[in-house]
Amino acid sequence: MLKITDLSARVAGKDILKGVNLEVRAGEVHAIMGPNGSGKSTLAQVLAGREDYQVTGGSVTFDGHDLLALPPEERARAGLFLGFQYPVEIPGVNNVYLLKAALNAKRKSAGEPEVDAYEFLSLIRQKMKLMQMSESFLTRGVNEGFSGGEKKRNEVLQMLVLEPKLAILDETDSGLDIDALKVVSAGVNSLRHPERAVVLVTHYQRLLDYIVPDQVHVLSGGRIMKSGDSSLAQELERRGYDWVMESQVA
Amino acid sequence: MSGALQSPAALPMSAALRSFAAQWQTRSPDSLAAVRERAMQRFLELGLPTIRDETWRYTNLRSLAAQSFVDAPRKPRSGIEPNPAPSLLGESGRAAPLLMVNGYPSLPAAGGAIEGMEIHSLRELARVDPNALLRFLEPLSDADQKRWGLLNTALFVDGLYLKITGRVALPLVIQHVATGDGADNIAYPRIIIEAAPGSSATIVEHHVAQGEHTPLSNSNTQIALRRDARLEHYRVYATDAGATHIDSLDIRQDQGSECKQFTIVLGGGLVRTALEARLGEPGASLDSYSLLVGHEARHVDCVNIVTHGAPETRSTQTARAIASDASRVIFNSKVIVEAGAVHAQSQQSCRGLLLSPTAEIDTRPQLEIHADEVKCAHGATTGRLDPDMLFYMLSRGLDRDTAQSLLVYAFLADVLTGMSVASARAAIESALIAQLPDSQTLRKFR
Repeated sequence: MLKITDLSARVAGKDILKGVNLEVRAGEVHAIMGPNGSGKSTLAQVLAGREDYQVTGGSVTFDGHDLLALPPEERARAGLFLGFQYPVEIPGVNNVYLLKAALNAKRKSAGEPEVDAYEFLSLIRQKMKLMQMSESFLTRGVNEGFSGGEKKRNEVLQMLVLEPKLAILDETDSGLDIDALKVVSAGVNSLRHPERAVVLVTHYQRLLDYIVPDQVHVLSGGRIMKSGDSSLAQELERRGYDWVMESQVA
Repeated sequence: MSGALQSPAALPMSAALRSFAAQWQTRSPDSLAAVRERAMQRFLELGLPTIRDETWRYTNLRSLAAQSFVDAPRKPRSGIEPNPAPSLLGESGRAAPLLMVNGYPSLPAAGGAIEGMEIHSLRELARVDPNALLRFLEPLSDADQKRWGLLNTALFVDGLYLKITGRVALPLVIQHVATGDGADNIAYPRIIIEAAPGSSATIVEHHVAQGEHTPLSNSNTQIALRRDARLEHYRVYATDAGATHIDSLDIRQDQGSECKQFTIVLGGGLVRTALEARLGEPGASLDSYSLLVGHEARHVDCVNIVTHGAPETRSTQTARAIASDASRVIFNSKVIVEAGAVHAQSQQSCRGLLLSPTAEIDTRPQLEIHADEVKCAHGATTGRLDPDMLFYMLSRGLDRDTAQSLLVYAFLADVLTGMSVASARAAIESALIAQLPDSQTLRKFR
């Protein structure tokens, strides 16, 4: 589904990604872990199409198409979703408007009619219940005045409504207490499907207790230094990231 | 009229000034002749404001000064179309709008009335009760923001005096129709609103244009709020791109009175609006909102001067300026807290949004404080659409035009949500959206 080959990227004149290779197949959940500043968030943003991040080399295909050639909105409509680490507040743009506009944009590009108002509302209610969000969130500005945890729930809510083929969740677990972490994890797990894939970008192993990945990768210095199954996450938790660096040198 | 008017010998009069002096000669003397003559004399001595005048720094009237003007007709030859623009009360608007064509109200000679409000013609009032009118015309001021007001005082022929005596339930819409019979017309609309103690009303002044030629409009509105009176006032400019509009609004507030004022610029080619407010007694409060939309080659120059002249007075100014294409929007606001106006509170918030590299926005919030124990805040920012917000919306699949339009719309929300007349808000939103990119998509989200 997603094939990243030798991807390099530069942000504000600084090389951050230095040859990332990764393949994610349908039905899989991958976790990308790594120390701060290793390039995890840059990778997520580059995949979503952030324009001020400059791709300097390599290629990315999504369902066989050249992902990097698409503007961000078309990547989204093709089924890629980025859950932001720091979701931006957009006062004055209603949360429910954005959800509806996003869903309709996706349907339009798939040649489907716009969502019926009643159908939309019952869909939203159902997903909000799963995320344990009160309906008052709908009428507020996008993320406006939301706490850190509420913003993350809102990201997952958007993901559940849009049902992307590939969800990239950038530190969706950070800043969550244990109850919120369970809710968010349940949301992500509800989306698991043989035809979908999830990439979790995380700093801590904690999230992976609730969403068990098929593969774990350690990103460091702009490269994937080590890959393994879910036991790698536990080993990292025990031995720290330094262990990976040292084992590479050795 | 009488009076041998003199211009300072040293300065040759511009074509515009000569034509204004010629208009003066055509006026028949009325009971206001003495003050009108002084106003005209002062105006000719001082001349048109120039960019050397403090509140005119950004608006050059040189080309206007080179033109000659004649009075716009009292009634256009073709008559007024029944509904020249969408009513700000919507299709089900209940109160009939008051029509003013080139400053001349359509009223029965005896005036009119609606529940809680008397409506008089200024011409008639000047005949039967000149003193009631004179107290609004004086004192004359030399201030440059009042310059066009002097000319209006000298030359207005008719207008409206609205006396709010009780609680007026429905918003009253005054529709100013500007319609000329040539390219050189000028009109002098004049409105005086006096709200009696404890009264309340909502008044909407809606400026529209009709026909091929739109006169230069030199309009002037005065508002006096007596003790505990409440008024929500709108001035909305929706004239065509060729129109020049110079409007002065003067607000005087007595004890405990509350005024909410909206200045909405959605039309016109050159629009200059001035607001001067004086919170003259304790407890008076003013909330002013400005929504200034620069579109195509429009030039919008908005000046607000709010004076706190008594203790415990409160004012807010919320301005949102948007400039697209090659337009220019200027917002200057000044708050003056006079000595003795202790515990005054004021807040100025001005935000500008540039939508094109050839557009320009200038904002200048100023504070002049002569009293202790006051709470005054001001802030001004101008920028482009926030790239993080834009990327967020794109990453959810919205197309760029829709995302931008939603952000622009959101930017204006602070002003729009302040409006308590739902129908006026809806009509203003519609007109506004029509001037934003991708208006079709936006309509669906209202």
